[in-house]
Amino acid sequence: MKRKKKSNSKRKTTSYSKLNLFQKPGIKFFRPCPLSGKNAPVIDYKNVKVLKKYISESGRILPARITSVSEKKQKKLSKAIKNARLLALL
Amino acid sequence: MNCYEHTLIAKQDLSESQNKKLIDKYEDIINKNLGKVLKTEKWGLRNLAYKIKNNRKGFYLHIKFEGVGKTVEELEGAENIDEILLRFLTVKVKKHDLDTNYFEKKDDYKP
Repeated sequence: MKRKKKSNSKRKTTSYSKLNLFQKPGIKFFRPCPLSGKNAPVIDYKNVKVLKKYISESGRILPARITSVSEKKQKKLSKAIKNARLLALL
Repeated sequence: MNCYEHTLIAKQDLSESQNKKLIDKYEDIINKNLGKVLKTEKWGLRNLAYKIKNNRKGFYLHIKFEGVGKTVEELEGAENIDEILLRFLTVKVKKHDLDTNYFEKKDDYKP
């Protein structure tokens, strides 16, 4: 199963999908939001496993431009992380 | 009626009878003040991510209930006075998710 998924993602990638040193300015490389769509993990302050992926080693929230989370989900995510911090889960 | 999720952290050095009293006390408060307890989850003793009032561990309790604004007011009012508690959090949710318990598996692995 895992192999199939990988091959699929490779087909989808375009020439701009990877960060290129000689990339033209102004062209965004597109990555779909990992938290929306089908089978996406639930954003919740109790779901510590998911939240840990979106904080840095020192515990700060990663910006959406790095994780490519959509704007709507990023708002939910930051709220969930802050709630989890309050309960000393993160 | 609104749906609420409530989590509270108590000090670690409590006996089991004290824990039961704690649960009964706050469930009573909810039930008396126009609320209805749907589910209570014991997350058990967990390590805190950081020290709270010089405690490294805490006893977690999670209550899912329905109620009105007054229910939450009374509940938090009683908790503010309680010295056993370290912290609490109330979150309003649109719909209750009664099936998944994110902290159940960890307890099974420990013993």
